[in-house]
Amino acid sequence: MSTACAARIPQTTEPLVALSNVGFRYPGASSDALQGIDLTIERGAFVAVAGTNGSGKSTLCKTLNGLIPNYYVGDLTGDIRVAGLTAAEETVSSLSKKVAYVFQDFENQLVRPTVYEEVIFAPLNFGYPDYKERGERALALLGLSHLRDRWIWQLSGGQKHMTALAAALSLDPDLIIVDEPVAQLDPQRARLVYDKLKLLREQHGKTILVIEHHTEFIADYCDQVILMDKGAIRWIKPVREALSRVEELAELHILPPQVTLAAKQTLEAERQEGEAALPYPVTLGEAAEFYRQRDVGTRLNAVDGGSEAQAILRGTAKSGAQEPIVRFDRVTAGYKTIDRTPHHVLKNVSLELREGDRIALVGSNGAGKSTLLKLISGIRRPSEGSVTVCGFRTKDVSPERLADYVSYIYQQPEEMFIEDNIRKDISYFLKARKHPGYAELVDGLMERLRLAGLADRDGRLLSGGQQRRATLAIGLAMRPTVMLLDEPTASLDALSRREVTAMLSGELGSVKTAVIATHDMQLVAEWANRVIVMHNGEVALDTDKRTLFSNSELLRQAGLTPPQITQLGDALNLDPPCLSVDEFVRRVQSPLKEEVPAWKPSNKASSTS
Amino acid sequence: MEAIKQSLIDKLSVEQIKVELMRTAFGRRSTLLSRFDPRVLLGWYTILAILPWFLSNKFVLLGLLVPVLVLTFSSKVSPLVLFILGLGLVSEISYILIGSLLFGGSLDAVWPLMTLTLKLLIISLASIAVFNSMDPERFSDALLSLGVPGQFSFGVSYGYRMLPILIEEYHNLFYSFRLRGKAPGKRGLLGWRSLVYLVRTAVYAFYPLMLNTAKRTRTTVEALEVKGFTYALVSPEARKLKLAYLRVGAADIAFLGISLLYLIALCVGGHWVSF
Repeated sequence: MSTACAARIPQTTEPLVALSNVGFRYPGASSDALQGIDLTIERGAFVAVAGTNGSGKSTLCKTLNGLIPNYYVGDLTGDIRVAGLTAAEETVSSLSKKVAYVFQDFENQLVRPTVYEEVIFAPLNFGYPDYKERGERALALLGLSHLRDRWIWQLSGGQKHMTALAAALSLDPDLIIVDEPVAQLDPQRARLVYDKLKLLREQHGKTILVIEHHTEFIADYCDQVILMDKGAIRWIKPVREALSRVEELAELHILPPQVTLAAKQTLEAERQEGEAALPYPVTLGEAAEFYRQRDVGTRLNAVDGGSEAQAILRGTAKSGAQEPIVRFDRVTAGYKTIDRTPHHVLKNVSLELREGDRIALVGSNGAGKSTLLKLISGIRRPSEGSVTVCGFRTKDVSPERLADYVSYIYQQPEEMFIEDNIRKDISYFLKARKHPGYAELVDGLMERLRLAGLADRDGRLLSGGQQRRATLAIGLAMRPTVMLLDEPTASLDALSRREVTAMLSGELGSVKTAVIATHDMQLVAEWANRVIVMHNGEVALDTDKRTLFSNSELLRQAGLTPPQITQLGDALNLDPPCLSVDEFVRRVQSPLKEEVPAWKPSNKASSTS
Repeated sequence: MEAIKQSLIDKLSVEQIKVELMRTAFGRRSTLLSRFDPRVLLGWYTILAILPWFLSNKFVLLGLLVPVLVLTFSSKVSPLVLFILGLGLVSEISYILIGSLLFGGSLDAVWPLMTLTLKLLIISLASIAVFNSMDPERFSDALLSLGVPGQFSFGVSYGYRMLPILIEEYHNLFYSFRLRGKAPGKRGLLGWRSLVYLVRTAVYAFYPLMLNTAKRTRTTVEALEVKGFTYALVSPEARKLKLAYLRVGAADIAFLGISLLYLIALCVGGHWVSF
């Protein structure tokens, strides 16, 4: 193994990537997309490129595989050398053999019907006689050989991403560029992708470049951060130093890891002004060590912190009984598979949703979350049992009739834009029902969701955050009693994610109960007052969020990762679990004020009852 | 009655149609026809698609129908496809018949119509049997090897890759319209108002589908560039490597030979028998 690796790395000490004074302007653009870029990347590095949307991250990466300037013709200046080649003299084809690229919307990068066809496609095109072995080798490298004969459409999102990566690896490139792997995948699957990248780097000597703004992943896997701003490189720093620049990152809408924020607040409370504290801990392990050194673990359960814990536990008591708005009565539902056998996605589910419920529906992919939402909206009907929504049995009424009470917001915003501008999209429902004065209603709503300036734009062409706001407006314009949302924060950057979370937490008008299917545990921690965990088509747990996060065994089974700050609390034996950075800092700090008798929750169940 | 209606609705639901479509396209079958070289199959099919137009002897036509029926049966064709074929044939016969009755004709018109119907049936069943058995990948390779430009043959297999995604997206868009639209208050005679509403919605749902597809292709085109697709279009090795597996074997020759002998036998027989 080691000899093979050594053989692959050439004897030269030339860096893998060397850019000097590179600038680029798209044809017809009024400003430069890249300017004055000087960059060297050594062989075997694991580098993150961070920056806001439009800061030139993708453009920079596309100069490395020749898409710029061979495919996007524009004004390219400066020198680019990649893997011993001078880019100006090469084509996309020759550079692609050295540089692999996994796009952000990797689904559209897969052009063949099956996994195997996909991974042999590139080597076949380049005329390698051993194209079959290359494909097989790439699959084996990522542990995908068992998926060899699957259709692409049968794969989960994570498997598709891996397939795209395998297809790129089949050319045995030196540099692997991955564009925002976390954006389109749930956290656990994203971690799998990163683990594979780490493996490729450590065992096969590959150099990895990721475009990423999820700083928790940067902290865990990368060793350098390139910060881009307005087409230029602001700085290149080692990861710990980079992520400790909390204010600077915040200014560019990049959210540092939660543990870093917590450590910063703790240090600021402890220290005198002007005292240097950098760098902060950036990974979970470092932060746990940081707080253990402060002896926090032993002092945590003192009265101050303890009384807050007690208040938290009291606050989670269930509210009284009213008539449920939605009732599932022993519901079984599913679909027919391609060989006509029924596949039950939901099995014998009984459930009641009541007024005031803000429900987070969590669980791994395929656990039945989307099916549950579709059953409430009337798009699907149960094969056994019944679903009652606002007094109607969904079997007996059309989806159009149910739409008077239920609005369902899809995971893919594109599938909700059925008109050519978003004002028409938002008005569609009210207009179809000839609602008097709908125009004012729509205007008001657009004002509130900051869409007024975008009214005449096509929804498909908006940015991710704007698209989410627009779909939210479409849903709210239906003035529903029940609001259903499928992954409303998926594929959003930190800023848009916070924005959407805030909107959902705010005034929702007529909505009496809302259900969000999500993998975003930060959203669960901030928004929900009830959590339903789905596992294999059944309700595994119906509880509040604190109980959820204290049940680590179930979390693992259901494929969920708690927010990082909750994990830190767990590492320090904080009980009940901690949900936000502010809460964590408060609970960790308060015992410092004075020494008081310890409060020990000997048994959580007895303290609540 | 209500139960029958419900079961009919179940059979014709969007969901069901989706399953049948996917089954037709992606159910991996090993059928009799799928064993032959795709180019041989294409040639065989071309002959069968043209020949019936030059024949009018019902004995010969019926003789052709029998093996085509057997092959269709052996290809495990989806009942939905056969149902649509049946619907087409019945409506075709009935509208010509109604026309003939309206203009003073009689039931006599049916008999000559049977000849036309037979021809259509042979050709349709042959297409169903052949294309149901032939993996689109092999079809695309056959086209490439027969000299069709690479862009076109790639298009066939890319369409195959995209089909399930487009079906899924269409389904969601269709419901996007329904979840925000308003069904007609009165259903009308035999529910014609509802029918018109649903058909209109079904058509409207295609527009956003097209726009979304257009947006999606940007990455696809870049990816094709990176994967050397355009490089392969001008390089002969890639084509040679790709098509190396296509080979006309003894089974293919035998298949063609038997078909030809059967055809000759039919024509000879047709000399003696005719009705």
